[in-house]
Amino acid sequence: TVMLGAERSNATLSELAKMTAASQAERTVLEEEFNWLLKEEVHAVLKQLQDILKEASRRFSMPSPGLCEGQLKQENFILGSSTMDQVKGVLTLQGEALTQADINIKVAKSSQVMHFAFRDDKQWKLQQIQDARNHVNQALQLLSSRDESYTFKTGAEVNKLMDAVMLQLSRARNRLTTPASMTLPELAASGLVKMFTPPMPGDVMVNFYINLSKLCLTVYQLHVLQPNTTKNFKSAGSSVLHNPGAMFEYNNTKFEVSHVHKVECVVPWLNDTLVFFTISLQLCQQLKDKISVFSSFWNYRPF
Amino acid sequence: MSGNSLVLPIVLWGRNAPTHCISSLLVMDDLATIITGCHDGQICIWDMTPELEINPRALLFGHTASVTCLSKASAGSDKQYLVSASESGEMCLWDVNDGRCIEFTKLACAHTGIQFYQFNIGTQREGRLLCHGHYPEILVVDATSLEVLYSLVSKISPDWISSMSIIRSHRTQEDTVVAVSVTGILKVWIITADVSRMQDLDPVFEEESKPIYCQGCQSISFCTFTQLSLLVVCSKYWRVFDAGDFSLLCSVPSENNQSWVGGEFIAADKVIIWTEDGCSYIYKLPASCLPASEHFRSNVGKKTEGSIPPLVYSIADRADKQLLICPPVTRFFFGRREPFHKLLIQGDSAGRLTVWSFPLCPPELQVSVSISLQEAFDKLMPSPAGIIDQLSVLPGSNEPIKVTASVYIPSQGRLVCGREDGSIVLVPATQTAIVQLLQGEHMLRRGWPPHRTLRGHRHKVTCLLYPHQVSPRYDQRSLVSGGVDFSVIIWDIFTGEMKHIFCIHGGEITQLIVPPENCSTRVQHCVCSVASDHSVGLLSLRERKCIMLASRHLFPIQVIKWRPCDDYLVVGCSDGSVYVWQMDTGALDRCVMGITAVEILNACDEVVPAAMDSLNHPAVNLKQAMTRRSLAALKNMAQHKLQTLATNLLAADNADKGNLPKYSHNSLVVQAMKTNVTDPDMHVLFFDVEAVIIQLLTEEAQRPNPTLVSPETLQKAPGGADKGGSFLANKIFKQVKETIKENIKEHLLDEDEDEEEEQRRREEKSKSLSLLEYNLTMDTAKLFMSCLHAWGLNGELDEVCLTRLGMLRPHTPVSFGLISRGGHMSLMLPTFKDSLLRQLAEGCAEGRKLSVSEIVGKGTYGVSRAVTTQHLLSVISLANTLMGMTNATFIGEHMKKAPARKFTNIFMEHDLYLIY
Repeated sequence: TVMLGAERSNATLSELAKMTAASQAERTVLEEEFNWLLKEEVHAVLKQLQDILKEASRRFSMPSPGLCEGQLKQENFILGSSTMDQVKGVLTLQGEALTQADINIKVAKSSQVMHFAFRDDKQWKLQQIQDARNHVNQALQLLSSRDESYTFKTGAEVNKLMDAVMLQLSRARNRLTTPASMTLPELAASGLVKMFTPPMPGDVMVNFYINLSKLCLTVYQLHVLQPNTTKNFKSAGSSVLHNPGAMFEYNNTKFEVSHVHKVECVVPWLNDTLVFFTISLQLCQQLKDKISVFSSFWNYRPF
Repeated sequence: MSGNSLVLPIVLWGRNAPTHCISSLLVMDDLATIITGCHDGQICIWDMTPELEINPRALLFGHTASVTCLSKASAGSDKQYLVSASESGEMCLWDVNDGRCIEFTKLACAHTGIQFYQFNIGTQREGRLLCHGHYPEILVVDATSLEVLYSLVSKISPDWISSMSIIRSHRTQEDTVVAVSVTGILKVWIITADVSRMQDLDPVFEEESKPIYCQGCQSISFCTFTQLSLLVVCSKYWRVFDAGDFSLLCSVPSENNQSWVGGEFIAADKVIIWTEDGCSYIYKLPASCLPASEHFRSNVGKKTEGSIPPLVYSIADRADKQLLICPPVTRFFFGRREPFHKLLIQGDSAGRLTVWSFPLCPPELQVSVSISLQEAFDKLMPSPAGIIDQLSVLPGSNEPIKVTASVYIPSQGRLVCGREDGSIVLVPATQTAIVQLLQGEHMLRRGWPPHRTLRGHRHKVTCLLYPHQVSPRYDQRSLVSGGVDFSVIIWDIFTGEMKHIFCIHGGEITQLIVPPENCSTRVQHCVCSVASDHSVGLLSLRERKCIMLASRHLFPIQVIKWRPCDDYLVVGCSDGSVYVWQMDTGALDRCVMGITAVEILNACDEVVPAAMDSLNHPAVNLKQAMTRRSLAALKNMAQHKLQTLATNLLAADNADKGNLPKYSHNSLVVQAMKTNVTDPDMHVLFFDVEAVIIQLLTEEAQRPNPTLVSPETLQKAPGGADKGGSFLANKIFKQVKETIKENIKEHLLDEDEDEEEEQRRREEKSKSLSLLEYNLTMDTAKLFMSCLHAWGLNGELDEVCLTRLGMLRPHTPVSFGLISRGGHMSLMLPTFKDSLLRQLAEGCAEGRKLSVSEIVGKGTYGVSRAVTTQHLLSVISLANTLMGMTNATFIGEHMKKAPARKFTNIFMEHDLYLIY
């Protein structure tokens, strides 16, 4: 084995010598290519990214503080499900806030229909949309600080910028794709039920959230568990969507979810933003991958 | 303090300072300590003298993402606390003195700013942290428990807070929180004693909400000189507002397309504003902004845009400007007590701190001091030691070849180091550590300790895996390495032979992982390799071929998880997408995003809690390694101890004692760490004091003559005070012994297997390496005791230690560490001794200069009470154990002339004396 090892290392050495010779010419070409990448390509990608993200940011129609609120477009969405008709909702979205909501709930046992609407003085901010908007704007701010007049000197510098931009973009996307998972008591305390007129009865809870490009409404019908119940009480953990049978305790009363109704509706502009985020993330990664091809070459040091 | 076991870290930093790309900066109130947080999540503590000499002291580990903000977390000067927050929502409370983590917590959202505030409720003082970040509230957090107490909420257009300031008004005797939201709306909350008393989660609404049209607000600060104005810095302009009614007093646009990132009042009539690229400008405020002037508020309501106040001074560019990879962080601080420094401090991506001290009358402003972490390392003589530096210096070169990947094999006490030239070195860990840390005759030997070099990779070795350590199903000869040359190589570590080269990836190998236990038989003999071309391979060590290659991932691979029962390999990518691959067929089963992706990843954890491996992020790796290390070590130790003792007990009847398998130790674990992927490895030696003691006792019990280990010898406590130590040792020993007796027949040592195993061992031994036989445990104890002993306090004792006990004197003060809650860790930088020297010199009345050798021992004592306690406890319990042993000495066989004396009472008494 010692012999073999020695031969091998000899072979490696001569190969290395050849490689070093060959790479002299190669190095010059690569260096030129890398300079082109830093001077031209990076700025081209940054420009493209900015254009896409400006488009995404525009979709969120950021309210400018000087103008009156009425200038933001109001959009109505009819939330329903093809498989069931127990719950129907008409929601009005204005930017990041739900300004109006009309919800009809058909109670399972009786055929009685309950109707609720937002009180006039109330509106519900969808934090997910606000967060996504802020993250995009932060990404845009990072990009705008490095315009064409700026010369990138190292690949590491580009990578650092891309990392920062990608962090904001993936957060923006994550806020829309992963709604907050909440426990049922958290939901009960969220104040959402207090938004309605007539006031919601104690055995109904609602939740609004964004999942991908969809605006979702979940209605939970509850029944109170008697204190002497024989059922094993086990409070449910946090989840985006709780299932029937989930139990929780709120204000010293134990509840069980008896029915869950989920209705949703696609918000077209949210879908656009998601597509923009995905494309931008890919652009960033591709740029990083290009840089990494060179950096592994620059790190090369003959021994 | 550090969990249940006493584990002491000793660091070998090597010559390359860790990457420290500064992301946040803080100067403590006494202006004696600077704190910097970096993009990789570490926090550096720098000492600063009144003469503005700066020296890095320690590095704190714990955050898994970029540090976003730092704040003091205590008011008093007796104990200095620091709070840090990271991009991933973590928050840590640290003791500035010794780097101990006191408390930590994690929220779903990241904080971008924290300010300490002290409430006075009657005579009671309560520390609070006001936090803002990627959420629309200001969270009020208890400064000791880090619990969220309540929040300051906006009723009108709530949005993220971009900047916040606490205003103390003498007029109203009320403290107010002033904040600007990302949409440019100024909010005011009043904090009164009532509010401070509130402990429930009732929100507090804002008192005032006023649009001030400041988009992209970067910072707001209150004028502490006049208490009447407010400075708001936005990227394209800065403005001064009246702090009473928030009317605009002046607005100054930025020039030359620069973007402002912060500013501060430096006098009643002067402000300093700095830009993103690190330039600073001092402006004299116009009369309309000066409350003392008759023209104060004369411009209110008028358009003032465009008039640029006189520039007093500009600190444009640094002469020694290195290439920075991201914008530096600039902050302004002024001392409230002697020597009343006004300091502008900048931290940059090269780990450099630059300080400008303001003279009372400008414009004479020059860089007062500038130092980077690397410079501090470079200045040290001798250079900070790396674990195998003595084997890595090429002829004609000064710099050792960098170690780029390492794995420690506890069962053999050997460290495997992959280097940047493609070679892999196998070296006995304890002995190489002794060379680096201690003075002795080994310094004269070239190429010591005996080692083996494997050559096969071209250029850098990027990762190493010893699969047998993770699961016994793998051949103990196999070592797997991955390189920057895209190849994965299987080695036989006993012969040094290269067994196979896999060339299946199209990028450098970033990680090697062992699949979990319950995979199919075929997969069980594979290792999983991850490469930078976003591909994952399953490489069968037995068949010597790649049985699956999963590529096409669009983003770097962040995590590999397993669903063995479904035969799925689950790949989590950095963009949050999850790919599910069928291992048998290599078919892509699913590719998902969003909640489903999260659910799939979580479901994998439920099935196999241990089989998680997070890649890419070095800090995540590190933290996981830390937590896993202790677990694995514990498990390993239990198993291993049982086996050793069982063998011993069984062998008591066995005549053939000479062939007892020699079990090595895991009282020492060598963990390679890097804070940034581009850094070379640094090595931390973790000494498990308890394990060393058990190890010593087990080995004592293993000696041929069992009568020597009578309870008498063990219990022969020399003094009253140290009974505790020996009692502890006894208890451990008894416990271990009893457990063994109980378990021995049920669980252990299948006879045939054992014989087979032994045979193999013997075979291996015959053709085994040239490594010398040596006593691992005693060497470990020697290394440990030599590092811990307080050299230089008592000359007589030192002499005894050197000549009779065979202990060795350290080259230079040893960099110890402190493990605190939840795997948080503080490691002393090699430069800490400079701070120490200075500190000790101050203590010396005659002011004479102390030499490094004088402080070698004093170094460890006096760092902090927590560290001292740990060290004394370790020394005493270990010394006690050694005293109970027969002929315990660190002097090697060749040096032993007369029967060496045991550890004497002097030693004990001396150390006990230290405690009191």
